[in-house]
Amino acid sequence: MVNFKINGISVKAQKGETILQVARREGIYIPTMCYLAKATPNASCRMCVVEAKGVDGLVLSCNTPPTEGAEITTDSQILYKERQNIMKLYNVNHPLQCGVCDKSGECELQNKTLEFGVEQQNFAVRDQARKKKKWGVHTYDPALCILCEKCTTVCNEVVGNEALFIKAGGYKSRIEINLANCIQCGECISVCPVGAMASTDFKYTSNAWELTKVPSSCAHCSSACSLYYESKGGEIRRVTNEADFSSLCGAGRFGFDFQNRVQTKDTSAFEKAVEAFKSAKNVVFNSFITNEEAFVLNELKKKLGFNLVNDDARKYQEFMDNFASTSNKSLYNGDIKDLSNSDFIISIGGSIQSDNPMVKFAMAQAVGYKKAFVASIHPIEEAPISNVVSMFIKNEVGSEEAALSMVADIFIEDKSSQKEFFDSLDFGYLCGESNISEEELDELKQKYLRKKKPMLVIGEDVINHSRAKNIAMIVGLIQKYTPFKVIVVPPSTNTLGVSLICDLDKIEDGFSVGYNVKADFTLSAKGEGDLDMPSLNQQEGTFVNIDKNLVVLNAGVAYHGYELNDIASSLGVESKNVIDYTSKLGFKEIEFDDLDNYYDNVGNAYRGYKIESVKNNDSVKLDEVEELGEFNGSVVYSRNPLSQFSPFTKDCKQIKVKDELVGSEQFAMASKIKSGDRVKFIVDGIEFVRHFRVDRHMKGTVAYNPTFMLDSKSSNYRYNQVKIEVINE
Amino acid sequence: MSKVYFSTWRGEFINNVDKPQEEWEESAYNLPAQYDNHRTSKAFIGWDGVSLFDEDVDVIRLAMEYAAQYQEYSEACGRCAPGRWGGRILYDSLDKIARGEGEKADLDHLKEIAKSMQITSKCEIGKTVPNPILDLMHHFEDTFLDCIENKKPSKHYYDEVGYIAKITAPCTDACPAHVDIPGYIEGVRDLRFDDSLKATRQTMPLAHVCGRVCPHPCEDACRRTNLDEPVSIMELKRLGADYETDHGFGFFHPLNKKNPIDKKVAVIGAGPAGLTTAYYLAAEGVKVDVYEELPVLGGEVAVGVPEYRMPIGKYNQDIECVKDMGVNFITNSKINADDMRRFEKEYDATMIATGTRISKKVRCNNERPEIDGYWSAIEMLDQINLWDKYGIGEAVDLTGKTVVCVGGGFTSMDVVRCAIRANAKKVYMIYRRDEKTIIRNTTYEEYHEAVEEGVEFLFHSAVNAMNDEDDVLKSLLIDKFELVPDPNGGRDQLVKIDGASYTIETDFLIPAVSQSADLALLPEEWEIEMTSWGTIKTNGKDYMTSRKGIFASGDCEYGPMTIVNAVGQAKRASSVISRFIQNGGEITLTDNEIMEDHLHRLRVYNKKEKVTGWLPGLVRQNSEVLDAEVRRDNNKEVNLGFTQDEAIDEANRCMRCYYIAMVAT
Repeated sequence: MVNFKINGISVKAQKGETILQVARREGIYIPTMCYLAKATPNASCRMCVVEAKGVDGLVLSCNTPPTEGAEITTDSQILYKERQNIMKLYNVNHPLQCGVCDKSGECELQNKTLEFGVEQQNFAVRDQARKKKKWGVHTYDPALCILCEKCTTVCNEVVGNEALFIKAGGYKSRIEINLANCIQCGECISVCPVGAMASTDFKYTSNAWELTKVPSSCAHCSSACSLYYESKGGEIRRVTNEADFSSLCGAGRFGFDFQNRVQTKDTSAFEKAVEAFKSAKNVVFNSFITNEEAFVLNELKKKLGFNLVNDDARKYQEFMDNFASTSNKSLYNGDIKDLSNSDFIISIGGSIQSDNPMVKFAMAQAVGYKKAFVASIHPIEEAPISNVVSMFIKNEVGSEEAALSMVADIFIEDKSSQKEFFDSLDFGYLCGESNISEEELDELKQKYLRKKKPMLVIGEDVINHSRAKNIAMIVGLIQKYTPFKVIVVPPSTNTLGVSLICDLDKIEDGFSVGYNVKADFTLSAKGEGDLDMPSLNQQEGTFVNIDKNLVVLNAGVAYHGYELNDIASSLGVESKNVIDYTSKLGFKEIEFDDLDNYYDNVGNAYRGYKIESVKNNDSVKLDEVEELGEFNGSVVYSRNPLSQFSPFTKDCKQIKVKDELVGSEQFAMASKIKSGDRVKFIVDGIEFVRHFRVDRHMKGTVAYNPTFMLDSKSSNYRYNQVKIEVINE
Repeated sequence: MSKVYFSTWRGEFINNVDKPQEEWEESAYNLPAQYDNHRTSKAFIGWDGVSLFDEDVDVIRLAMEYAAQYQEYSEACGRCAPGRWGGRILYDSLDKIARGEGEKADLDHLKEIAKSMQITSKCEIGKTVPNPILDLMHHFEDTFLDCIENKKPSKHYYDEVGYIAKITAPCTDACPAHVDIPGYIEGVRDLRFDDSLKATRQTMPLAHVCGRVCPHPCEDACRRTNLDEPVSIMELKRLGADYETDHGFGFFHPLNKKNPIDKKVAVIGAGPAGLTTAYYLAAEGVKVDVYEELPVLGGEVAVGVPEYRMPIGKYNQDIECVKDMGVNFITNSKINADDMRRFEKEYDATMIATGTRISKKVRCNNERPEIDGYWSAIEMLDQINLWDKYGIGEAVDLTGKTVVCVGGGFTSMDVVRCAIRANAKKVYMIYRRDEKTIIRNTTYEEYHEAVEEGVEFLFHSAVNAMNDEDDVLKSLLIDKFELVPDPNGGRDQLVKIDGASYTIETDFLIPAVSQSADLALLPEEWEIEMTSWGTIKTNGKDYMTSRKGIFASGDCEYGPMTIVNAVGQAKRASSVISRFIQNGGEITLTDNEIMEDHLHRLRVYNKKEKVTGWLPGLVRQNSEVLDAEVRRDNNKEVNLGFTQDEAIDEANRCMRCYYIAMVAT
């Protein structure tokens, strides 16, 4: 703790805090142009200079920690003059085209030019021709660029992609891109203080001040990131975020045009829907649903007695129940922030690259800021994230139980509670079966030395594994008996919420109503069923996200049809608005309108509330590790390409990723197919016809088969042995 | 001392304007008045002032050309607002005046922007570029006004004048390998560890090594010292190297390997100098064969520096990086004079980088190598390291033995600490001078770690005689000395204290006072010129020996010195060799190298300078070190390196003191 003064006020700094951070925390204003709170200081704008008593010259506040007894002044005539000069410099040759600039009205250059009273320009230099660049979702205009470096910093530090970089050289300096590394997330757009890095799609479509801005949560994956829907004329025009503190992936930022545009209420379809519920044997839904609607379905189940079916959430529920039987806690104890502060990470059973972008962002930050060692135990080596992953441990498909049991054996010191299980482990056998070598395990142990904040990230593969029960119990043990914090990544947006709220069943033969799932009677937010429903950007409600936070969803754009709540009300589960249920979900009794949804001055998120873990006093014995089934021949892995998560992202016009089968040269050879072939294969009874492409960076004999277009997530193991047939014409 | 017409360099003000040349006052600084042996300098301009050596210099254009340099360097760099725009305004406005189109208001704007740059720029380059420009504008105001008022171009605006510029920094200048230190620290700060490593490797291929065991002369020239404490420069180098290794990336080479040029160079010795020569020559497309006497690569860093200081796994990464550039290594190959004669015919050039691998005697009575227990430091460390690192030979076990080492430098520290690890009963270090001096000659950490591990240091002591029984060492007679001030004000003298001598029973005497070079490989008829202390003589600039095409670098040239010194020499030599073999045997230096030498003579670091614009009192980070109890009986790396938080904090202490210097010829 350091005691010092800012403008005569006594303040304290924590270890690692800079003068600027303390000032912001204390509500003292220091102007900046290049400072990005969520990353390390760029120190390029020099606006944040302050005076320190007894020190000659001006001191930069953004990257200087205070010293004991320092007396800082943040505002003086000298500082004003220097800051004014910096604004003059920024305006040298900055095109005076604010009238047609996208950023006008929300431009930091505009704002600070005004703030520092730049009425006349003393400085001039010969201008230079600069070419605009189009880099997919973003467009770069070097003439507008002030080289604040926020975009390169966010790309490198926060996203972990190292796509954007500075081509330095005096006045000619500019931003360049290594496009192969760019994941089209648009973080660079969000942090640009001027109009240099602009959304290609949004550009020149609207003035900032004409847009209606609604805070909400992203509907695409379980991170449920904070965002703003910005709309005009009944359409969402763009998505923005609190870029200083939070991030979005490409799906969140560009996948917003999935609303249901139905204009009228179809009364007869509505009546049929009410009848369908009455006669339903099953109501099938997926986890792209709010807590409140899931609660409504559960209430209807209680009333009407149908089977409530959501296999994705049911599997997750079972997994967490088994987890709780050994961890004695109903929930895992880690979150994304822990992950980004971690120094040792083991990920198992998931695609770090694409399953949950914020998990990958957080790992990249852990690597950058904490020199984290990241081990990915996964059959596929994801080459594009080799800058994040320190060690790929490629296990045999199906051997996750063996892998995790060895991890548990290495890291759990007190094995007394499961002595028989640990005694039964035969490393020679397990290493052989899983194809994980003892050297790899030794290295893992070696790298763990002196690490202080380890994390274990559990992916979807193991939740849907045939040995999920035992695996969940092993994970529970690790949480209980080691310093590891655990995250069990919920596979879909609200899998966790649904699993906590609903009493779920297996499907049985009989008439089924589907909600966003094709069935005998289908309710569809995509307008593809028997009755229209609002999409998730047209609803109020809440999700429980990966951080176990109950977060707020507001309607970004109006909806004109019927809602589930209308059906429920007709069936005797009555409420005026669906958000009346928010306080009744079984968590905290807080009304929807009373939920927090903001960031404070230094970036602490206040989004809803954290769901508390419930104690569990079970003491269940683990089974011995089971022998493995073999996966031979062509194996496909159900994994979506970046930015694609569901049918809701599928048709978003800015998300242009194809649904092709992608494999290595080795896979092509083994499957006797070649790049460009049209191929046919069956996974879980579903026939896929796909264009096949060889990715030369891939290795091994497992190919990626995207499933985002399917309306409900398969609840089976993500790897499947398939027979591939070429159907070229 | 340099004869100048006008100078403001480093606070000195000399104005010989209107004085006849023979009355010119001289400058106290080693200014580069003579650029090289065929070019004189007209002017020198840099961060700390400007010097004119000639009355005829066009000062406006000089200022303008200096400002123009600011636009050239990626280090200088457009990475802050005052620097990026300010630098360009300086250049444009000065050019406008020099063209004869300037106005009086331009002078005001120049002064204003210069002041803003001095106060608010991100780094020293932006802060200092205005300095000499303001000096010229102030002292030659009439010249500027003449051009402005009469709308005429400056006197040599359209003439051809050579301007040769060089970017430097106090730390870079002090580093014998001239590593771009602010560059690699910037990489750490930006979390671009790949960039950090590339910045290091531009001039120093041994990033793992010099991130661990470099005595870091750079830190003695760190400007941060003027404010509080030097930046922990050496350890920050590890970050980039560890990043590459930890993630198992391919090697981040800072330069692309050029196509083969059908030239061959032989390098004798695969130590730091040999590796460095090979790396940079291979990058130039030269076929390089490196001959190594030992079965292993790496030279003294491999078989001299112990595992606990320099883990071989890490060093091997550096060696692999050199291999990756396409270098051919031939081990177990001791080169003799016949080989050398053959090499001279077969290769376009030969580099001798054989180091100094003969331990010198301590010069005591009865010092006979045949006495059992007399063990040279080189032989002892060879045996320990070959076993510990490669499993070659046999382990050294000193259980129950007493070991006495005579030394005071890094090698002797390695000897005593290895002796502790070999389970010796008692380990003494005998040193003629005091604690302060031993720390100065090694490092604070090295000395204290040895003490913690249980080494007993006997200061102001020297071995008088070895006592043996039947050629088996039994004890040593030790003389005690005291420091007596020189009545004439010179250095204090060591004087033996009569009657204070004593005896230590011991099993081993290990001389580690110094090493000399084994140069039996030099054919006698070549009559290669040697230095008075038995090393190969070169001019210390191009590293060619007295025989054309035969070069020498590292310890066999300089005498036992540091790794970084060997790297620096070899880097320079490789550059010279690459031109030598392509330009028909001509020895040349690049402008960059000539400037490097000029600036080094001039000294870039000014320890009297008052640093402004930084908050003093930010403490230097110290990395965690294994406890003595945990480390003393094994080879675990002692220094654990920075955590990322510590590294980023430490990188933020760097003031990025890049400077531009320029000579007009």
